[in-house]
This record gives sequence, structure tokens and C-alpha cells, in this order.
Amino acid sequence: MDELRTQVQEVFREVFADPEIRLHDQMTADDIDGWDSLMHINLIVALEKHFGIRMATAEIARLKEDGQNIGTLLQLVAGKLPRA
Amino acid sequence: MTVASLQFVAALLLASVLFPLLPTPRARQGALFLGNCVFLGSLVPNAATWAALAAFLASGYAAARILERRPVRALLAAYVAGIVAVFVLLKRYAFLEQVVPPAMLDHPITIVGLSYMLFRQIHYVVDSMQGQIPTPSLWGYLNYQMNLFGLLAGPIQRYQEFQASWDKLVTVATDQHDLLKRYLRVFWGVVKIVGIAAAFSFAYQKLFARLESLHAASDTPGLLTALVLFLGVFYLYPLYMYFNFSGYCDIVIGGAALVGLRLPENFDRPYLSRSVIDFWTRWHRTLGFWIRDYLFMPMYKAVAERNPRVAPSVAFGCYFVAFALAGIWHGTTSNFLVFGAINGLGASAAKLGEQYLIRKRGRAGLRQYLQSGRIRLVSIWATANFFCVSMLFFPHELERCLIPLRVLYAALEAAIRG
Repeated sequence: MDELRTQVQEVFREVFADPEIRLHDQMTADDIDGWDSLMHINLIVALEKHFGIRMATAEIARLKEDGQNIGTLLQLVAGKLPRA
Repeated sequence: MTVASLQFVAALLLASVLFPLLPTPRARQGALFLGNCVFLGSLVPNAATWAALAAFLASGYAAARILERRPVRALLAAYVAGIVAVFVLLKRYAFLEQVVPPAMLDHPITIVGLSYMLFRQIHYVVDSMQGQIPTPSLWGYLNYQMNLFGLLAGPIQRYQEFQASWDKLVTVATDQHDLLKRYLRVFWGVVKIVGIAAAFSFAYQKLFARLESLHAASDTPGLLTALVLFLGVFYLYPLYMYFNFSGYCDIVIGGAALVGLRLPENFDRPYLSRSVIDFWTRWHRTLGFWIRDYLFMPMYKAVAERNPRVAPSVAFGCYFVAFALAGIWHGTTSNFLVFGAINGLGASAAKLGEQYLIRKRGRAGLRQYLQSGRIRLVSIWATANFFCVSMLFFPHELERCLIPLRVLYAALEAAIRG
């Protein structure tokens, strides 16, 4: 999971143009400057491209709901990666 | 039958007492299915409508199952295009008179709640194709689409959320106090519709009739009279809509909870919104979220995947198209296109304004700017009034919608000329 977190963090830094971003599980969209609906889609597109995965409409929408955080996002990405 | 009618409320109260006595989820589902059929039956005028409704719903379930096995985007696009074309024809959209033979529009089919069924159906088919409906069943799907609590005017619930409570149908209330609150919510919904909204509607009709008679007689009133009449219709109709629609939602959300169905909230103090985008996450929220997920997101994502650098500047166009389409969905005449276009312009302008502030002040500066009490008041006032402008184009066909503006303009012109 640590390797995955590092890679996801790199994608976040690139999308939000902020090299200082450090991800932890409890972080939400409110903790990252500029994470609005538009940036949410940009982030998803970048994650899909980086990991070669595809997220469903319902999954993308659910990530914006209350109670969702970086931990949920990492689990979602991890669940879509081919098992080693 | 309407949800604020005596029959509906009495049936609801009776059901809330009888439901907990039914021993199994299957028995409760059966009882609710019966209720759905009776309610739907009271709204279906003829056999042709029953047949069209059955075909419409069956096509959604069949398409979902096919796309689940063969998730081909072109197939999905073809189905959505087809079902939208059928919807436009069934609703007899005004522009069709110029396009198709009159005989095609001369059909006896009138499906109440079809607009909401269409949006639920598109969501169901898309989510099925993407593997997001884990345990589909025709029984669940039919009750989801026919659910009497969302049939007339939403909320536009997602299937996954519906299924979570449909599978058990146990009361949502946690204790007696909570149960009482649900009853009170239904009662308050009735008061909103038959009391407050009806009063606003009555006043609106009176003022609008006065404006119409002035316009018909080419009689130009004094500027003050014109201004009072104009501001009257300008604010009364949005107030009527708020109390009528939120009252409806209070009845169906509170009522559904009494029989164990959890429906999503549809209002969150919309007249305190700070931009048009914010507004559509607070007014008819489930529609706003549907537009975001099934209109805006696919359009914007398609651009962002192909050309991420261009995407942010295309976003404004996507907002406009998404809202214009949602506007047309509200009704069959050209005034709804104007209503949607105004909201689309508002959403695009809100995003443009935000981008401008970020460029000028940076993200920290934008946050500081938005925290200012004075800015907050101005943006709330501007958003509420902007929505009222768009609502001028909601209640009637375009020509009639323009009457208040025409009377005000004539009075202004006369006052300037002296």
C-alpha cells in the first residue's frame, strides 16, 4: 500500500501543481486546495492514465460523497490493479 | 391523485400502521408493489399508455442486462439515443411539429413521471454496463422505476441506494420521537403545498393576469405600478416553486421513511447559495447530481482524456450544454431551453469568475475572498436573483413569459420619454 500511496501522491502533486502534498488516509477533498468538481475529474483521468485502470461513473461520484477520503480512494485504485 | 391529497395522506398513514405488522421483507415488498400499482393505475389513462410504459421499462432492463454482458460503448450510445428519441416523441416536444408528420404526434399516450423514469433508466443502464449494480433483479428494477414516492417529481434516486432499503424495508425511524418527526414532516409538507405555496400561487396568478390584461390592451402603466407588478411575479413564482416542490419532497421523503424506504434529500437551503453551481447542489439536488454525473462528467472527461491542457477552457462549454439539456428536460416548449441556457450561462460564468480570481489572487487569496461576509451576502443575493431571472421563463410558453418584461420595458420607455 505504501508504494501505491507514493505513486498516487505523485499524481496528486502533478495534477494540483503542488509538490508539497503529502497524502494520508483521513485526508478529504477539503484538505487539498482546489479539489473541486473539475479538478476531481482531472485527478481521476490522471490516475486512470497512470495506473492503466478505468473507474465507473458511480465510483467517481461516490468519491465526492461525505465520509469518503484518501483511504477510500487508495482502496478503490488498489482493487482495480492486477494482483501480483 | 396528488401527494398532498387527502386520499394519499390517509393511505400513507394507514400503510405506516400496517407495514410493521407484515412479518417478512417479501410481504412488505408485495404490499408496496401493490401500492405502486394502485398509484400508477390512478395516473395511467388508457391501455396504450400501459403498453408504452411497459415497453419503455422493459427496454431499460433488457439493455442493462445485455450491456452488462457486452459492455460496448457504441451499444450504450445507440440505446441512449433511441430511448431519448422515444421520450421526445412520447412527450410531444413542440419542435417535432416542424420535423415529423402530425400523425406521429397524434397518439393517446400520456405517461406521468416519464422524465424522471428516463433519468433513472439512463443511470441504471450506464451503471449496469460498468458493473455497478451487483445483484440486479427485474422485481427490484420495476419497483425502483414505479416507486410511488419518486414517481411524480423525484427525487432522482440511484438504484444502489434504493436497493439498500428495498431489500429489508424496515422502518427508518430509530425511536418514537424520530417516528413522530417523520409524521410531522409529512404534515409540514402538506401545509407547505396547500397553504403557503397555494397562497404564493394565487398572488402570482393575480399579478400575472393584471400584466396580461395591460399587455393585451396595449395599456402602459406608470413606472411604479409596472415595477411593483414585475417584482411581484419575479419573486412570487420562485417562492411558490420552492414551497410547492420542497413540500412535495417533505411528503414523499417523510412518507417513504414510514414504510422503510430511504430517499435522498432534494433541498438544502437553496436560496442561500453563493453561485449557480452551488445552487444546483442545493435546489433539486438529485437532478443537479445527475446532471453532474451523467451529462457534465462524460463530456468533460472525454475532453480531459484526449487533451488535458485544453480541458479546463472547454469546461465552460460543457457546463452550458449540460444545463441547456437539463432545461429542455423540464418541459416540451422553447421557454425551457431559455431557462436551461440562462442557468448554463450562470454556471459557466461562476466557473470563469472563480478561474479569474485564482489567477489574480491565487487559491489562498480566493479562499480569503470567499470568507468575506460582505462578498458572501452579495453572492447570495446575486445568485437568488439570477435564479429568479431564469424562473421568469419557467411557468408559461415563451411569448407569455416575456409579458412581464415587455410591460416593464414599455413603462420604462414611457417614463424616460416623459
